[in-house]
Amino acid sequence: MTAEIILPILQILVVVGFSPLVKGFINKIEARLQCRRGASMFQPYYNLVKLFRKDAVVSETSSWIFRATPYITFISVLIISLLVPVLSSQVPLNFTGDIILIIYLFALARFFLVLTSLDTGSAFGGMGGSREMMVSSMAEPAMILSFFTVALTVNSTNLSNITSTLLNNSILLLNPSLILAFAALTIVLIAETGRIPVDNPFTHLELTMIHEGMMLEFSGRYLALVEWASSMKLLLLLTILVNIFFPWGIAGGLTFSGLIIAFALYVVKIGFFAFLIVIVEMSFAKIRLFRIPNLLGTAFILSILAVISLYVVR
Amino acid sequence: MSINRQPYLDNIMNRFKGNVVVAKGSLENEIYISTNKENLDDVCTYIHKTFQSPLSSIICNDERSLNKNFTIYYVFSLPDKDLFFIVFIPVSEQQPDFPSITPHIPAAHWYEREIKDMFGLEPVGHPDPHTLVLHGNMPANTYPLRKDFATNTRLPHIESKLPFARVDGEGVFEIPVGPIHAGIIEPGHFRFSAVGDTILYLDAKLFFTHKGTEKLFEAMPYTKALFLAERICGVCAASHATGYCQAIEKVAGIEIPPRAKFIRTIILELERLYNHIGDVGNVCIGASFLMCGSHGFRMREHIQQLNETICGNRYLRGMITIGGVRFDIHDDLKKHILDLLDRVKTDFKELVEIMFTSSSFLDRIETTGRLSLEHAKGLGVVGVPARASGICRDTRRNHPYAAYSEIDFDIPVYHDEGDVYARVKVRVDEVYQSMSIIEQCFNKMPEGSIKTSLKEFPPYKQALSYVESPRGEDIYWIMTAPNNMLYRYKVRSPSFCNWPSIPYTIPGNIVPDFPLINKSFELCYSCTDL
Repeated sequence: MTAEIILPILQILVVVGFSPLVKGFINKIEARLQCRRGASMFQPYYNLVKLFRKDAVVSETSSWIFRATPYITFISVLIISLLVPVLSSQVPLNFTGDIILIIYLFALARFFLVLTSLDTGSAFGGMGGSREMMVSSMAEPAMILSFFTVALTVNSTNLSNITSTLLNNSILLLNPSLILAFAALTIVLIAETGRIPVDNPFTHLELTMIHEGMMLEFSGRYLALVEWASSMKLLLLLTILVNIFFPWGIAGGLTFSGLIIAFALYVVKIGFFAFLIVIVEMSFAKIRLFRIPNLLGTAFILSILAVISLYVVR
Repeated sequence: MSINRQPYLDNIMNRFKGNVVVAKGSLENEIYISTNKENLDDVCTYIHKTFQSPLSSIICNDERSLNKNFTIYYVFSLPDKDLFFIVFIPVSEQQPDFPSITPHIPAAHWYEREIKDMFGLEPVGHPDPHTLVLHGNMPANTYPLRKDFATNTRLPHIESKLPFARVDGEGVFEIPVGPIHAGIIEPGHFRFSAVGDTILYLDAKLFFTHKGTEKLFEAMPYTKALFLAERICGVCAASHATGYCQAIEKVAGIEIPPRAKFIRTIILELERLYNHIGDVGNVCIGASFLMCGSHGFRMREHIQQLNETICGNRYLRGMITIGGVRFDIHDDLKKHILDLLDRVKTDFKELVEIMFTSSSFLDRIETTGRLSLEHAKGLGVVGVPARASGICRDTRRNHPYAAYSEIDFDIPVYHDEGDVYARVKVRVDEVYQSMSIIEQCFNKMPEGSIKTSLKEFPPYKQALSYVESPRGEDIYWIMTAPNNMLYRYKVRSPSFCNWPSIPYTIPGNIVPDFPLINKSFELCYSCTDL
């Protein structure tokens, strides 16, 4: 009984509490690589505090969607954080949903963000929204197929089962189809979280924005919620990636020492993948908008190959 | 260095016989040709076509207190000789119009609209009748540059709507951008007509911050006006100061000491260096190539800190003064400058290597924002974009000033390209050239004084001055008034010539590439809207 209460609390604490730190960490390392001193790693927290204190400005022409979206986005990402194995292979909301629900919840959050971008009638919002839809229409199939590859390998769509099966039969991870799925998911992660080379999260140039363009009209607590949700999304996708493909160290049960070790390894793994994102962001310019389909097409083809090779190799 | 101007004069006189008169008392490299409204178009087109000389500036001057007329001066610069033709016509107040030369010389289009706004003279036959500088929120019959318009006039605000050309059709929508932008830049409104992300047409509206700079000059003694000239724009301070000082020196007929000439050259090249290196970094930022962008800014910072050691501020203000320069560059400072440039050179080489071997970056800048040679020539584009489109035009070579005639340097020109890549390449090449120019200056610099003094200059005298700023050719025209005051000071900045060309580079490109194209031109709002 205590485990059922402790685990969700712990999981939410880790995901909600640490997600801004991941962004701060990425920003800090990037600044160091650019020979800049950079803002503190905790700057995203300060930003959130500042934004929550400020008033929100809402356009007169907007509808209830504008006010509802930040909450819908935040809550759907919050639910996802209870569906993903973070420190333990046990998942709090194990009984309600699987990997498919996660995809749908991400889609729900995006759907409302795009609606809001059209709601205020600003030119940049609509532009960002249409681009976001273009990117996601290609990223989503690749994501679904990669997830299915994993699900087919372990014969379950439940992330808890997937993680524990892969943990116990680590030899499965050497399956070429899983390696292909991993490659596809990595590309999808970069596109979904709006990092360079797909989108530039640091830009102030409205005309080039994708994800940020949709968020231009938000302010105050609304902006804080949307920002927080987007950093949680980054951490959750990273978590899914590391815990499916590198499950070692994750706690099987709920022992105190097991969780401590799991947490330490989790931090190392997330830190390493965040560092990989930094390396990618520093070595590439943003690709031309109309080249994004090529990149995501690559991810899609990789994920198709993953599914096919699953049957061929077997 | 005197040029034989007689063949050119004979050529023009033979063609137009009694319809033109060469004014007496022209300065050494300026030929003033007087004509009338009827022959203006022919004379200008003839000079423009026969001598392949681009239009450098059009200046309107309210000379009603002197000869009851407005005078409009058309400045053409010869490309291969250090010579300017200045055709001028009188325009009376009773009949306030003049024939437009835009149909034959498209480069004149903005000048003529500016004259219409500022002086109320109508360019007859101009294809675009809209206002340029004034936005329609001014009361009718307000002509700020006429002498009878007081500087401290307070005008009522009139509601108005800006006219924009638009594209109709299925799926075409408009994207209004600005005038207030994210980031710290000046105001400009851009209206894109686009289908999806592909741009069909761009209409730009600038001139949101008219400061009345030219009007302010007219009430200033020449010593004080230097400070205003220096502050026309932040990043071209040394160029604007040099342009102003040269104009005054030319009018007064004084020669500055040779050492001052070399120091001026060094200062001007330092200005080019910090601008070009920063601009290369800016293009990287425009393509979201953050690492190279940061390193560009870091090197720019090094040079700006050097600027501070030389003249006490980061923008090279206060160094250039009438009659020479204010401070000398001593041996230990010289060593410091050369050492720093050496370090920057090594770093910059490395940066360029990373940039030009990164396929993702090249993919963004190649073929993006092409400015064709035809458009560049027609619109009279100057500076970096002109050289990237295949026009070999550089004031330092065509009309040498300061110590440039004694220095060896190359002018990088890229033919048949004209894209963002070519503009970046021109800047990169010019960085190396500037470093070599500074080294040569230090080697050739003679000892001696750095300043001659100037007490008074003759009234009602005109002179042309020219500087190649980091952005391109600056043309200044001065007319003096009694008591050491200025009658008129006209500044034609390179940005004024280059802004109209941007809409021609855009169609066919996609919306997210516009900031990149705009950054590759690196135009100044402040220089345009004086």
